[in-house]
Amino acid sequence: MGHQFVLIISATIFCIGTAGFLIRKNPLIMLMSVELMLNSVNFLLVGYSSFLKTLDGQIFALIIMTVAAAEVVVGLAIILTIFRTRHELNVDHINVLKG
Amino acid sequence: MFEITYEVVVFVLGITAVLAAFGVILCASPIYCALYLIGNMICLALLFLLFNAEFIAAVQIIVYAGAVMILFLFIIALLGGKKEISEPSVQRSSAFTFVILLFCELLLAAAVKPTHPITGDMAPDVVNAIGSAKAVGIELFSRHLVPFELASILLLIATIGIICLAKFSYLPARRRLK
Repeated sequence: MGHQFVLIISATIFCIGTAGFLIRKNPLIMLMSVELMLNSVNFLLVGYSSFLKTLDGQIFALIIMTVAAAEVVVGLAIILTIFRTRHELNVDHINVLKG
Repeated sequence: MFEITYEVVVFVLGITAVLAAFGVILCASPIYCALYLIGNMICLALLFLLFNAEFIAAVQIIVYAGAVMILFLFIIALLGGKKEISEPSVQRSSAFTFVILLFCELLLAAAVKPTHPITGDMAPDVVNAIGSAKAVGIELFSRHLVPFELASILLLIATIGIICLAKFSYLPARRRLK
């Protein structure tokens, strides 16, 4: 129950997040999948900072949490703006910029 | 007799986190996805506690499971959590192929033996002697001051961006679509 377990759990959650981002059509759930991926990376960093006996991983996880919070807030604001103008939430139908 | 040891707790929490992650992407209704995501984050916070990272665990609970997920729930309540119909398509199967390939590659990478020797001087007993939050604070404000300031600038930029999005983007877009 050491490095390998942390690596495998983190890789699994990361892949689940990638799958969710690719197959779901609701932008809210796509944002949640991105959160899953960021969380799995946080888990890996904290686990390895414990194994390697340094605190750098925890600092990095803290910075990632800040970035994730900012990213979620901006993403949700964009989703809200799109919903106010188009009254639907399906990423396949949002193609105004499509050439 | 079954005995609850450190390894068993870590194993059970890890498996629960993976199952909750599956719940996030498999539920049709966004509100259940959000609840599963909260479960996943709480499992990860407990794992952080077991890895001697009490401060990060508290931040995970307060910032992620608290603030960010409350924001998600507000938006779901505002937009109405409709169920989505999923139909099989070419994009879906190619996405699954990509994800399975990615997973196999990550497992290959995980099978490599450790290449970096353990050189740190922050053993768990050292960190516990001065306190996890204090140790992280000393590290953050001495060696990692520039990333900390950059993170604060990032938050400021995000705040300004959201105010711009909320204030200026609504009316012109509506006029354009008419």
